Amino acid sequence: MQKLYCTIFIVDVSQNPEEVDTVTSRIVQLIEDHGGVIKRQNPWGKRRLAYPIRKKTSGYYVEIEFTAHSHLNIPKIIEQEYRLNDRVLRYLTYVVTPEELRQRELNAKQGKVTAAREVSRPAPARTSKPAEDAVQAPEAAPAASEPAPETTEPESSAPAPETTEAPQPAEAASSTETSNETPSVEPKPAETPEPGEETATTEAPATPAESIPETVKEEAASSPEETPEKTETTEEQS
Amino acid sequence: MLKPRKKRVSRLSESGIIWVDFRDTKLLVRYLNEQGKIVPRRTSGNTAQQQRQLAQAIKRARHLALLPFVSDIQR
Repeated sequence: MQKLYCTIFIVDVSQNPEEVDTVTSRIVQLIEDHGGVIKRQNPWGKRRLAYPIRKKTSGYYVEIEFTAHSHLNIPKIIEQEYRLNDRVLRYLTYVVTPEELRQRELNAKQGKVTAAREVSRPAPARTSKPAEDAVQAPEAAPAASEPAPETTEPESSAPAPETTEAPQPAEAASSTETSNETPSVEPKPAETPEPGEETATTEAPATPAESIPETVKEEAASSPEETPEKTETTEEQS
Repeated sequence: MLKPRKKRVSRLSESGIIWVDFRDTKLLVRYLNEQGKIVPRRTSGNTAQQQRQLAQAIKRARHLALLPFVSDIQR
């Protein structure tokens, strides 16, 4: 049966940024050699990891979608490659369900809404940053230096066009907590995004996010050591 | 009698999401508590189907280091 697969992997680019291309082309080549057809390639760019993997705090995410007959066993083949390649920090391969496709159609239909939503994503990370620093030590306490405690809420400081996720006051505390953990989508101005794709929508209009990479890097440098032993155990999954 | 937790109407059904995307960390973060645990259904107000989808998405996101497994260490 013909299936649509999606595979995402994280490449370690701390040594050599060109690794992304070598790994990606290797995977693409493997897929095509074994009879798969590449449908979409989407490099997400360098992002901060939510927890360190093999002592690395950031990695380059690449997403590839392809169709193949299920008896070709392509996921098995490429996962073998992932495991052998020590530049690949993490990988995930899954079969894209009809539900996901329907959701994408929906997103594309109401493209404006999702676009606003995606664009708003980098903004909170930035706006909440000063607040975050101020709050850092006393957990979840509203920062005294802030004009009002609501400003710690990323949504309230986000620009107006946001429609789907409007206010969400109940979680002011938890969102400031977690905003540290959610690295905003890395802007990749150079690439050519496919239209209607959710992650791609961030690329074009996300002008305020240009300065994110530095802040992300800086954050990564000061990131707390988070459960390195857990990462070891989960490596074998998927 | 236990004091009822603050039950909320599911945001998922309100926003018309039929498939929870694990890439959308901003959405998923709402269903995690401060420690990074998945919020139970009785609190989030999700239906069983939504909760299963959400759990799946959160676990995928965690695997790809988009979300933390644990997050209450020094903040």
